Amino acid sequence: MIRALRKSEGFLYVLPALAFVTAFVLWPLAQLVYLSLTDTSLLGGGEFVGLENYVKAFGDKSFWRALEFTVKYTVFITPILMGLGFALALLTAPNRPLRQITRGIIFLPVVIGIGSSSLLWFWLFDQQVGMFNRILVDIGILAEPAVWFTKADMALLGVTISITWKVIGFGMLLFVAGIQSINGEIGEAALIDGGNYWQRVWYIILPLSLRVILLTTLISVIGSMLAFEQFYIMTGGNPRGQTFTSVYWIYQNSFISFKLGYGAALSIILTAIVLVFSTLQVILSNRSPSQ
Amino acid sequence: MHMPNLRQAIFAVALTSVALVPGTAFAETLSLWARASSSNAAQHMIDLWNASHDDKIELTTIPDNQMVTKLATSVQSGDVPDLISFDLIFMPDFMKAGFLTDLTDTLSADPNQEKVAQAFKDLASYDGRLYGTGFTPDVSILLYNKDIFVKAGLDPESPPKTLAQLQEYATTIKEKVPDAYGYYFSGSCGGCNIFTQAPMMWGSGATLLPTSGDAPAMDGPGVVEVLTMLKEMWEAGIIPESAEADTGANFFSTFEAGNIGMVGSGGFAISALKANQPDMNFGIAPLPGINEGQASSFVGGDVIAIPKGAKNADLATQFIQWQLTDEAQLEGLAKNLILPSRTDLADNKYFQEEPRYIVTAQAVGIGQTPYAFKFNDMVNADQSPWLTMIQTAVFDGDVEGAIEGAREAMRAIAAD
Repeated sequence: MIRALRKSEGFLYVLPALAFVTAFVLWPLAQLVYLSLTDTSLLGGGEFVGLENYVKAFGDKSFWRALEFTVKYTVFITPILMGLGFALALLTAPNRPLRQITRGIIFLPVVIGIGSSSLLWFWLFDQQVGMFNRILVDIGILAEPAVWFTKADMALLGVTISITWKVIGFGMLLFVAGIQSINGEIGEAALIDGGNYWQRVWYIILPLSLRVILLTTLISVIGSMLAFEQFYIMTGGNPRGQTFTSVYWIYQNSFISFKLGYGAALSIILTAIVLVFSTLQVILSNRSPSQ
Repeated sequence: MHMPNLRQAIFAVALTSVALVPGTAFAETLSLWARASSSNAAQHMIDLWNASHDDKIELTTIPDNQMVTKLATSVQSGDVPDLISFDLIFMPDFMKAGFLTDLTDTLSADPNQEKVAQAFKDLASYDGRLYGTGFTPDVSILLYNKDIFVKAGLDPESPPKTLAQLQEYATTIKEKVPDAYGYYFSGSCGGCNIFTQAPMMWGSGATLLPTSGDAPAMDGPGVVEVLTMLKEMWEAGIIPESAEADTGANFFSTFEAGNIGMVGSGGFAISALKANQPDMNFGIAPLPGINEGQASSFVGGDVIAIPKGAKNADLATQFIQWQLTDEAQLEGLAKNLILPSRTDLADNKYFQEEPRYIVTAQAVGIGQTPYAFKFNDMVNADQSPWLTMIQTAVFDGDVEGAIEGAREAMRAIAAD
């Protein structure tokens, strides 16, 4: 009896977590899969339609255009978040009062809800009353206040600026933790050997932070692939649906057009795509060197 | 065995007596869900009811864009409010889905129901049965800045009566008033444009939204005329550049800034402008059609209904009947400068000091509301055929192609 208990001891330890994941992830996921095989409407009713929703999704140009835009947004914003976040981490990593305060200030927007921050930036970008526009005009970057959301590229840039402001502090904090965990003796040895600051960054800090960089990239990519609120509030998918993200399109189908079954099928496809991205990054992460 | 003492026995007898006497039942608290944009009006009605009734009503405000989801999920889970106030445009979908209680017998016997604006009666009917009635209406109107009219040399007491005049006045404003624009509309907002541009179309005899796959859609001269007018004003720079990207956030605030000559808006604008811009000299007029006398309006606002499965349906029915009485319409709505849903009360003592309210209230009587299933798909969605048509016609300049595209897409939605 005791031997049997000991054998299953490990299982018992993970049982609570397993139960939690089953109840709140696997079961809803199974329901989502079933929903995707029906033509359920938000207004009620629905029958089993097999793979019909998936077949329809593969021919849905708007969905693929939204996915293409989502990937474009992810590819555009991820290097900015990583590069800027790492640069800020290098600047603020040492635990000195002024740098700690700076860290706190940069981190502050992270605690603001993304809906609130998007609304804030929406008005900052406003052509008539937007302060951001006013500043750009006053310092001579713009001749007159711009209408940010009539061109897809400008809209993408506007959203990127707002999201960078909003989340950069989170990446910075993870990088700071990574940099601070590097054994100080390695840096000291490099210093004795005559390595300058940039050599230490390039040959010591960067390689030894690779795991943190990959983890932060993974979190950032998943967040960008699932972007919704910022576009819903700031661009409304405009101009002409060019800034629809995948989740936005799923929302449109599920809650505006009431097609819950079809929306579920699109969600499953998006989940599979994000899963592939994430798996690749986890594999890369496992291959990276550790200290 | 525990024996009750004298005090407990008296209390028990008293309680039983009260329960057995007819009309002395315990007061109930009813729940009413209202969408955010009409919750202020709903609260005035509720306050008036609560002040004179033992049974109380509690208001829950639901964000506008979550109302459909909330009602759908609540009906399906069986946990519904006693009363619900929502955008009347969703009535056809909700009635068809079987979400609402049939009120035909009660409302048909109520003399006040006859006086409710026709648009509410039409939209609340399905298969010959009635499922709700008018609650807190609003209508679309043309809002114009009288000071800008004066600066442009136009008569501030003569707003445009035809589409041609509207375009002519807007052009004059652009030419004669520096930094002012003649006209404004939210170019990326389907809902705003069905509210303000569509009446100019159907006032001229157009049929817009199809009810089936082979029904007329986007038919009639008004559609071409309005889109051509907007296109020409856009190309001439009479409409600000920011209009193209406006998803509705600046639907009203742009006019408040004071440099817009005319804009399609709603009755709500009167109170809002009086509160926010007390010095602004503005006028109200019906939305014009091609010819004089073709003015029309979109009757929007909220209906009130009882969701299926409501726990206090009888009391809720009493409230619905009560809110149509003279007392509720005048003291709950008109007194607070909110339009009554009964057209016979448009000209009331509270609106006498502000004739602009009377113009707006009268528009409730002449206005229409399109009866369509899947209204969201056809109009409100961010890539709806209605919105795509406006954008393609106005910003791309292809009026005929835009109309044809919208007609096909709408019929496909109606047939789905």
